[in-house]
Amino acid sequence: MFLARVEGNLTATRKHPSFEGWRLVICQPISRDGTAEGVPQVAIDSLGAGMHDRVVISSDGAAARKAVGDEQSPVRWIIVGIVDEVSPGTTSLKDAA
Amino acid sequence: MRLGKVIGRVTLSRTVAGLEGARWLVVNPFNREHFPQGETSPPGLTREPSLVVYDNLGGGIGDVIGFVEGREAAQPFPVAPPIDAINAALVDHVFHHPR
Repeated sequence: MFLARVEGNLTATRKHPSFEGWRLVICQPISRDGTAEGVPQVAIDSLGAGMHDRVVISSDGAAARKAVGDEQSPVRWIIVGIVDEVSPGTTSLKDAA
Repeated sequence: MRLGKVIGRVTLSRTVAGLEGARWLVVNPFNREHFPQGETSPPGLTREPSLVVYDNLGGGIGDVIGFVEGREAAQPFPVAPPIDAINAALVDHVFHHPR
């Protein structure tokens, strides 16, 4: 699992049918202080994560497949939580500007 | 999944069983600095290593796609083939606002 920041979203008409109806959000893995680390990942979101929210994303494909309800889905990354506080670090829900 | 731009195609003459006739795309992954916005993608390539992606959605050169890496790439098949990257979405529009 990675700490990440929501930095966008995308739309795709042609996609694996298991993604139908799911929000696809762009998650930038970050360090504890909010510095970007590595390449952005696209995750499915059922929690309604907002722009620049800190989230935790998981690469557990089995759990993601269970969430979309399709054992044949290639889904891998899923937002598992919206971050309240990282300690030690910032205490705000959103990154300090 | 990650996003990348299709920069080429591969055809195979001999394949392992189950992958005959498959479409393969050569994909250059985007990074944070070099990311599509709206319906346009930035010119040029990133320094991310390009990879070959199995495709059954009909992606073509210049398209932005979302590809899944790892064991999950073989999940859509009844018998798992030896592939570790699959095209999961033909991306129409990207909203990206890093901070």
